[in-house]
Amino acid sequence: MDREQVVKALKDSGKWGHKYSLWAVYFCTGCGIIEIPPSITSRWDAERFGVIPVATPRQANLFLITGYVSVKTLRAIIRTYEQMGEPKYTVGFGSCPINGGMYWDSYNTIKKLDKYIPIDGWIAGCMPRPEAVFVAVTHLWTLIDKGMANAYKKYRKQYKYYRKNQEMALGKLEWPPLYPIK
Amino acid sequence: MNKKNLIEELKLTFADIRVNEDKNDTIKIHAKKEQVKTILLYLKNYGYDHLALVSCVDWINKKEFELIYILTSYNDNNETYKETGDIYLKTKISRDKSEVETVIGVFENAEPYEREIHELFGINFRGHPRLIPLFLEREYDVPPFRKDFDTRKYVEDFFNSIPVIPEEKA
Repeated sequence: MDREQVVKALKDSGKWGHKYSLWAVYFCTGCGIIEIPPSITSRWDAERFGVIPVATPRQANLFLITGYVSVKTLRAIIRTYEQMGEPKYTVGFGSCPINGGMYWDSYNTIKKLDKYIPIDGWIAGCMPRPEAVFVAVTHLWTLIDKGMANAYKKYRKQYKYYRKNQEMALGKLEWPPLYPIK
Repeated sequence: MNKKNLIEELKLTFADIRVNEDKNDTIKIHAKKEQVKTILLYLKNYGYDHLALVSCVDWINKKEFELIYILTSYNDNNETYKETGDIYLKTKISRDKSEVETVIGVFENAEPYEREIHELFGINFRGHPRLIPLFLEREYDVPPFRKDFDTRKYVEDFFNSIPVIPEEKA
């Protein structure tokens, strides 16, 4: 870090901390997870960007959803997302969470994931290369700098709509609401 | 016992079954649904000790389901198995009254296959100890692997009807 950056980092040290320690929850869904082991190991080495996989959602603040989401997986995704501490950032990886991808007419695959949990950004492609993960991460840095990566705030504010959609898809949810529903 | 003898003995033992051989010399037995359990037991005694798969096909124009049982052997030194390879046992059941007896008594590992077929095709297996959902979270009016299940209509009616989250008011 050079001298000019020190001032900036001290001015907004919280953002600076969040930016360079994006710990990703090791949550595997769909086929996209096959791109994550090469991304985090020596070939592409995600730790250059401060991204490391962690074992539990309570230590993580980056959530990569790496592929198609079946109705059963959606339940696990919501539970994982709600356990993560704030600030938390979600990135949809691949074309399936965006609009269903090649499962667009499937009977059991969630089509648009941002109807159920908030998403900060999308990586298009089927499959995206590991480089695309780093493009997403560096783009997320810009968003954090500008204060635009605020999907988790949206989740808090619009929680009643999210909860309603989640209940439409999964039936009655067995866990209590994360935020009070007015 | 060689292949020819096995086929002949099968034909002698069980009335009205058809035994075909396809291009790859795989034996395919077409039997009635009441005979399935006895044929499986019969072949099990000849060393076909593993039920590899139970599968189902929906022939909607003929109004019937076809159940397919694939038998293999764990024993590589089994002379009969070496000659014949896997054996396919096929049976047809009516689409209107889709009910068949379970084969768990013969091969215990048929249980998850039959549960899956019950869930996705809606076939009732008589005598199965627990026909409860295996994969699916939601309930469907028509079991989703049946040919008359309209996936596009279902996507339109269900997934596309869920509203988009409104933007926050600034």
